[in-house]
Amino acid sequence: MKISVQSKSGVFEYDCGDDELLLYAGLRHGLTLPYECATGTCGTCRARVVGGDAVMAWSDAPGLSYVNRDKNEILMCRAKARGDCTLRVPAAVTNSMNPEIVPGYRQGAIANVHKLTHDVLGFGVALDRPMTFRAGQFVVLEADGVAGGRAYSMVNYRRGADRLDFVVKRKPGGAFSDWLFADRVDGARVAVYGPLGRATFAPEGGKDVLCVAGGSGIAGMMSILACGREASYFRDHKGYVFFGVRTERDVFYLDRLSALVEAFPDNLEVTAALSDTPVPPALRQRFPGIQFDTGFVHVVTAKRMAGRFAGVVAYVAGPPPMVDGALRMLVLEARLPGTDIRYDKFS
Amino acid sequence: MSWKRVCAADEIPENTLKTFDVDGVAIVVANYGGGFRAFPPFCPHMEEPLVQSGLLDGGVLTCSKHLWQWDLRTGAMVGIAEKPLLTYELKRDGGDLLAFVDRELEYEYDVGDDVSDDEFFKAN
Repeated sequence: MKISVQSKSGVFEYDCGDDELLLYAGLRHGLTLPYECATGTCGTCRARVVGGDAVMAWSDAPGLSYVNRDKNEILMCRAKARGDCTLRVPAAVTNSMNPEIVPGYRQGAIANVHKLTHDVLGFGVALDRPMTFRAGQFVVLEADGVAGGRAYSMVNYRRGADRLDFVVKRKPGGAFSDWLFADRVDGARVAVYGPLGRATFAPEGGKDVLCVAGGSGIAGMMSILACGREASYFRDHKGYVFFGVRTERDVFYLDRLSALVEAFPDNLEVTAALSDTPVPPALRQRFPGIQFDTGFVHVVTAKRMAGRFAGVVAYVAGPPPMVDGALRMLVLEARLPGTDIRYDKFS
Repeated sequence: MSWKRVCAADEIPENTLKTFDVDGVAIVVANYGGGFRAFPPFCPHMEEPLVQSGLLDGGVLTCSKHLWQWDLRTGAMVGIAEKPLLTYELKRDGGDLLAFVDRELEYEYDVGDDVSDDEFFKAN
């Protein structure tokens, strides 16, 4: 099917498969269509169908609160065309996406599912063909028989990666996480679409890096740190990582983070913040390279970073209330310009 | 066309925003320290209610949804903002703030099949 997109910067046409999501088809042709979550919640990919017919594949998508359904508006990330159609997109669009990171479809197999905490799993997906992505990006995973795609940030970083690593927190009623937490998913097939997301890190940036993460939001930060390590970025630039969880039993990756601090002891600083309990002395002894503190992660970040925010680019990821608290802190207390704060709204 | 009383100036603490109903028109007034600004209640980007999403500091208003910013001292867009903030003219009358409201200011959120092609394709 032929899709014509009328954007603020001109008209673009692309082919879309019969059962393909309109956003995914446009992005894989290298069009910089607007989106953030790519999974139906944020409302950013709103468009109006001005010719032909397109329908929402997910009629209860939370992001529909941003659209005017009476005027035939849709969310491109969860809509499919029923024939050739024309869309109006209220944004500037280009066809000059970097070809290296144009998203595409891959098949994968779940590998190495392992427990990180009582309610967090790590897992890998072995890809049928390699993917190059930017540190901080995510993909959408979909498993047979599990409705809807879920967005997960990559933990690892490698150009032409043949395997992607992820973390997932068990959410009550979350179909995909329930499926992963069930036994014997190793080897199961998943569809992979990506890479996606604009909260990315590139070593050319030249700024000090601040990562503020809550829970499984640490995933993308690990990718940024891996990329920075590979480029020896932290030889010449500071890296500050703040990792917030509730209690001692919710922390993970402290071994990996310790190894990073050991590699760049002068410039990399990692702080784990426990919001609900004091820091047990045994935890401090186990991880002498890690700083520990008590309180919400954005509060701990504000306190420990006071006077050190100048020249920093900040990455934020985690549960929505934590992201909101961190953004408020970065704007009001750190006074970072909006251009130096990066996050993707997953929810 | 008329000047209408919105509120007493001391009802709005520094660096906060409040919504008022002015003859059926919802208006947000911000106290940015050096003065006040009055504008429609929603972010021009994606209709986020600014009383909840708006952060005010150093004269700059930030919508925390996507970090669009405006300098309330000058009315200028800051950083990654792509649309100006529409404002109502505001003046003080003793302890009161009066806004000039002849019609409700609204943003064009429509993707626009009811606007001409020329209008749609022009830059924001």
